[in-house]
Amino acid sequence: MKLLFTLTGSQLEALALTAGEKLVYCVPADLAYLPGAGANTDRTRNPGAGGLEKTGVSDRYETATFVAVTNQRLVVLAGDKVTYQIALKDCEKVRCEHQVGCGIITVTTLVDSDENIMGEGYDVCVARVSMRQIVRASYAIRGAQAIVRSLKENGDAEKAEQITSSEYETYCEKCGRAMPGTSSCPYCEGKMDVAKKFMSLCGGFVGKLLLISLSMLVISGMNMARPMVQRWFIDDALSTGKGTWADLGIFVGISFAFLIGAILLEVWKNLACIKLGSALSMSLREKLYVKIQILSLSFINKRKPGELMNRVSRDTGRIREFFEEVFGYMFSTLLTMVVSLVVMLTISPLMTGLSLMFVVVVFALMKVFWHHIHTIFHRQWLKSDELSNSIQDIISGMRIVKTFGTEDREAERFSQKARDYAKTQSRNETFWAVFFPILTFLLGCGTYVAVLIGGQNVLVGKMTMGQLVQFMTYSGYLFGPLGWMTHLPRMVMQMVTSLNRIYDVLDEEPKIKDRDGSKEIEIKGHFQFEKVSFGYNTYEPVLEDINFEVEPGEMIGLVGASGTGKSTMINLIMRLYDPDQGRIMLDGVDLRDVKVESLHSQIGVVLQETFLFSGTILDNIRFAKPTATLAEVIQAAKAANAHDFICKTPDGYNTYVGEHGYNLSGGERQRVAIARAILNNPKLLILDEATSALDTESEFLIQQALNRLTSGRTTFAIAHRLSTLREANRLIVIDKHSIAEMGSHNELLEKKGIYYGLVTAQLRMAEGRPEVKNEDGTAEATA
Amino acid sequence: MMSEDMDLLDLNLDDEFNEEELKKESEELLEMRFLTKENATFARTEGGFVSLKFGDKEYKRIGVYLTFPLTNPEEFISIREADEKAKEIGMIENLNNLPKDQQEMIRDQIRLRYFMPVIKKIMEIKEEYGYAYWHVETSFGACRFTTHMSGDVVVSLSDSRLLVKDIDGNRYEIPDFYALGVQEKKKLDLFI
Repeated sequence: MKLLFTLTGSQLEALALTAGEKLVYCVPADLAYLPGAGANTDRTRNPGAGGLEKTGVSDRYETATFVAVTNQRLVVLAGDKVTYQIALKDCEKVRCEHQVGCGIITVTTLVDSDENIMGEGYDVCVARVSMRQIVRASYAIRGAQAIVRSLKENGDAEKAEQITSSEYETYCEKCGRAMPGTSSCPYCEGKMDVAKKFMSLCGGFVGKLLLISLSMLVISGMNMARPMVQRWFIDDALSTGKGTWADLGIFVGISFAFLIGAILLEVWKNLACIKLGSALSMSLREKLYVKIQILSLSFINKRKPGELMNRVSRDTGRIREFFEEVFGYMFSTLLTMVVSLVVMLTISPLMTGLSLMFVVVVFALMKVFWHHIHTIFHRQWLKSDELSNSIQDIISGMRIVKTFGTEDREAERFSQKARDYAKTQSRNETFWAVFFPILTFLLGCGTYVAVLIGGQNVLVGKMTMGQLVQFMTYSGYLFGPLGWMTHLPRMVMQMVTSLNRIYDVLDEEPKIKDRDGSKEIEIKGHFQFEKVSFGYNTYEPVLEDINFEVEPGEMIGLVGASGTGKSTMINLIMRLYDPDQGRIMLDGVDLRDVKVESLHSQIGVVLQETFLFSGTILDNIRFAKPTATLAEVIQAAKAANAHDFICKTPDGYNTYVGEHGYNLSGGERQRVAIARAILNNPKLLILDEATSALDTESEFLIQQALNRLTSGRTTFAIAHRLSTLREANRLIVIDKHSIAEMGSHNELLEKKGIYYGLVTAQLRMAEGRPEVKNEDGTAEATA
Repeated sequence: MMSEDMDLLDLNLDDEFNEEELKKESEELLEMRFLTKENATFARTEGGFVSLKFGDKEYKRIGVYLTFPLTNPEEFISIREADEKAKEIGMIENLNNLPKDQQEMIRDQIRLRYFMPVIKKIMEIKEEYGYAYWHVETSFGACRFTTHMSGDVVVSLSDSRLLVKDIDGNRYEIPDFYALGVQEKKKLDLFI
């Protein structure tokens, strides 16, 4: 995404860069906002040569307002007037605040507009942007903030991190069209690029493609030749009366041979196209799938899951359709049509013109009704969409509907929608049933006129009978595929868009990959965080300046309110993301220098959302170690307190779980996940809310299992239920993006800080309950 | 483990203050506090925001959150602290009950925070390859934007009131569908 827009000459002049000052970011602010000029009683000001204007927000779009950030200043330019400027060294903070449907850029400063130093910082709103520009503005302002921080820390703007945005534009800069989720616009992209992608797509299939193209040429040739033979037969054999049985035999033989030949070839070609399309889309699908797995989570998380799924299934499907339905016909049809037209013109330009005239009429009619046809069918599609949505809604919300006893109301609502849809559909079909025959009739009229004139010509001898028949056949060739041809541009464009969307993923470089010289290590479990900062979006830090050290075999509990970055810390430890700044050392080696696979094979993970793959319980436990023996699997399941419930299922360890399989409860799933982690005998253990879905009793049992598991292994555990963490050697409390407290349970309690507050709060809540189950299984009232 | 739990319990029994604090906090969350002209004074700040004096507390900048932005924009306005947590200070039950100048201040803050242009006239809706390109006249001036072609682009808030959402997430309001011209309605056909 572009963060440095070009200013006009007069704007640059107004900006008045001083020596050594350079423009770093410049982004448009598309909603009118005039910052106040000091005295807050005066609500109007003179922003330049123009008249007085009210300060604050105005209901107006701006097209030439920019927020410019130099290495020294932040300047708002409206046209070529400066409406606000501040030296970045005077800023405490600059922010882009998300509002509702828009964003505002604010500056916190100690210096007021008359350059007096205020006692405490205050916020100034300097510009406003719509959702169209908000992402861009956020990035640029994040860049400005980096300069502000750098100026504060070491007085040097040059040391600030240069912010870039990997996000795609939503509109093409050149043509203004919406970008279909691609890095470059498929319309403006050079033909060569598309051709290159297409070629690389066809890479391994060149021979097949050539063969198909050749067969298409032969088929068109045969089709074109038949009317010629026909004409010769009529003119030389039939009309002259000199024809013999032999001539007839030859004619029928040749025609028949051509026809059969063409049909056979056509069948072969269609089969080949379908095979080619399937093979291509399959190989693309495989490539995409592999690539998506390799790509770092950061790439995947930036996109909606549905979108990537679409790229794998729908876009590759489009490519297949293209090869099946378009590619196989495109060239031969075009060729046939051109040749037909040429031959028709040579036979009779007048007749050609006349029959084409009706084509023009039909097209005009189509054009007039196009909008209507398109609208009514699009509306039908919307209605059917709505209908299926509401079915889905009601079925998935069935329990709620039933408990509130609103079945009748829902049924009525649904049947209303169904009636609506049926009405629309029948109206549309009626329209089409009337409209289409009219079109066919009109197209046919062209032929009648041609026959009329051609027949006259034949009667007066200006034309032979054979020529007339030939003309008729060719006009059939010409008009037949016309309807199909009108869809061609759309189909090609769809293919190009899909191609782009696929190649966007395929061309993406994974952010996390093995460096040259990265090595496999045997994990001992010594961890060190050195000045680690990280954010999923560069403009929103989640963790800032994290420093701590973990000895091998230590169990670390991570504590903090939700959204403070506990899971993020674990993502960094697992190297699903790399830190933006600083480094994580594992046994004295930078985590980035450890082979990813070697790292992951030695980590055992139990996550909050326990995901089980479709397959048997056995498959799921064996997921990380497919070679485990049955005894090992049972051992692990026993350790995870899962053996008992597994035995009670009808198929035992062979019970199929997953989307359409046996329904495990949340706690059961979690226990299977724990068994999975135990089986792998990991060196490093990560428990992210591993026991959150369990009742107190099974939590205790699993806790025992986990204690066995964690002894001697470096363990990172996140839990909201603090009792889960009582075995931890040390606790790290994360608050406001960084480490707030660190120490053992007792140390932190004595400190009476955040941890203390959390513990007492939880005890209070537990006290609210009349009775809790104690760890030894006996129920007893709490104090 | 038992003993640890026990001493945790002992520990908090000693400490009544913290419990009070927590209780107070949770009660504050439940309480309906209304800001009226008697107990609250709003003032413009130098930076273009609004400050609040409420009882003995002063807030340098406040956030104005509409609780029913689409149906009752001037009622039950939640006034919140301006930081990330945005804790509620109180609610304005009805904006019209505040002094005139303060009403205007709050309205200006609403205009700053909420952006939803009203479509006054539809010049053109052109469809091309799965996107609709709109050219409209809005309360903010002429505007071109793009929407997908799916069914959730135009949402009806009531029989006649529509919301249009573009690909960036901007929302545009059509206050009365029936007040549009015949041609304009026809252009909207694709979505309704």
